[in-house]
Amino acid sequence: MRQWTQEILASGGRCAFPLMAYAGADLSGMSIHDIVSDGKLHGACITALATRFPSAAFITAMDLSVEAEAFGSETQYLENETPTITGIIVHDAGEADSLTVPSVGAGRTGVYLEAAAWAAKEISPVFGCLIGPFSLAGRLCGMTETLMNVHGEPEMLHRVLNKTTEFLVNYARGFKAAGANGIVIAEPAAGLISPAHCDAFSSHYVSSIVDAVQDEEFMVILHNCGGSGIHAASMASTGAAGLHFGNSADMKMVMKTVLPDILVFGNLDPVGVVRNGTGDDIRLATLQLLRDTAGYPNFVLSTGCDVPPGTPLQNIDSFFSALAEYNESVICGRCL
Amino acid sequence: MELLQEIAVKVEEGKHLDVVSLVEKCIEAGIGAGDILNKGLVEGMNSIGIKFRNNEVFVPEVLVAARAMKAGLEVVKPVLLKEKVQSKGTIVIGTVMGDLHDIGKNIVCYMLQGAGYDVVDIGIDVSKEKFIEEARSRGAQIIGLSSLLTTTMTYMKDVMDAVRNSDIAENVRVIVGGAPVTREFADQIGAHGYAADAASAVDVVKVLLQA
Repeated sequence: MRQWTQEILASGGRCAFPLMAYAGADLSGMSIHDIVSDGKLHGACITALATRFPSAAFITAMDLSVEAEAFGSETQYLENETPTITGIIVHDAGEADSLTVPSVGAGRTGVYLEAAAWAAKEISPVFGCLIGPFSLAGRLCGMTETLMNVHGEPEMLHRVLNKTTEFLVNYARGFKAAGANGIVIAEPAAGLISPAHCDAFSSHYVSSIVDAVQDEEFMVILHNCGGSGIHAASMASTGAAGLHFGNSADMKMVMKTVLPDILVFGNLDPVGVVRNGTGDDIRLATLQLLRDTAGYPNFVLSTGCDVPPGTPLQNIDSFFSALAEYNESVICGRCL
Repeated sequence: MELLQEIAVKVEEGKHLDVVSLVEKCIEAGIGAGDILNKGLVEGMNSIGIKFRNNEVFVPEVLVAARAMKAGLEVVKPVLLKEKVQSKGTIVIGTVMGDLHDIGKNIVCYMLQGAGYDVVDIGIDVSKEKFIEEARSRGAQIIGLSSLLTTTMTYMKDVMDAVRNSDIAENVRVIVGGAPVTREFADQIGAHGYAADAASAVDVVKVLLQA
């Protein structure tokens, strides 16, 4: 993946890696429930997307319930919506201490490893998606409670984080063994806390995952969709070779703060623009973002979070058409 | 430091035990409940709200400040009732049916409580019937609808339509918010207000209650 990064940095044009997997459901005639519960179908869904869209890479679905479910959390399933965690399983220090770290493959984690394996047979690069350690702690302990424990019960929170990280390191290794080319760690809850707390309660633990799996052939991208981009330095401190930002981030500011050898991904509004916008809205927003980041070869066009289920495929076509239009204009020396 | 000012500082710092003891001291000293609420508790939350808006503090700091404010409010509530201090308004708020997410809604609740409103949090996965029933029985002026999912935000229109066709239509204004919700969507479904974030929810409510 070092080579993949170098190729992007050396390329005169721009490429795109939108976070999309659920969008493949419509292409392949599957429901969301099919994708989140069957690895082979999930892999076929990713492959279907690769057949249709010229994305620089592909990803397993962003399902932020799967790891908590492996720990024993209750999950609610709907036919055409991503699963949701419904209960809290860690209420106090005693329960934090007795929390058992599940084995990789527990719950539906095997589905995602299988999906990555199926997709990696057909396309490359493929990234496995997993939740970040702080966001997973939020799923297990309750998000409001976890955020308050940053001040009230930091020791208990660190005990839970040690366990979530232990599992995620093994899960990341599982993606590597399955043939994936990297992972995207989705750590949305870290965007809700201060950069200093982000260092202590998220980045410190994310760096353990990076240290365990990242090498020349396997890349870690860290996604944090909260905040205006002020967490960029904390995110970069993890050593992840790629940083991915949500649509509230100011990409012009982010690009100035991140070293030029780290790939930076972002950040078109996945709902307001990509799902609900018109073709023209998408074109204009994409071109604007590309213009704003024009001086940075390490910028990769993406969505600010995963493209939600039900996004019209022609909207994703508009996104890639705008990218092609921009690249053509750069080659021709035309100013859009 | 003056007691009321000290309450505001301790609310801002999230020191709920200190807030409780300071509020008790104020009551003993004969300070009016309205002043304890507005010049102490609400002032502290106002201050944290401004810092939150300016990215000087983050969600955990707002949450612990809100807990401190609520702890103080519990102590002063009986005196407020006795002194017949008028509420600034009542808001019934919940996450719409099919959606189990609550962090955004919770933060909005805390910010509204911090601004001195009576907030009735009716939880997650709430039906249109329950929104109307709770607003009617609590005499609410505002209903707040939250959603995190693109698939559940469409239920906000069902709630809007139900409110419009109910007996509370004339007395209640509806505000909407949540990650996928936009001003355009709010306008499309006929919501009276749209809040892009927790801090602006307070401003929107203020405007709607003055109208």
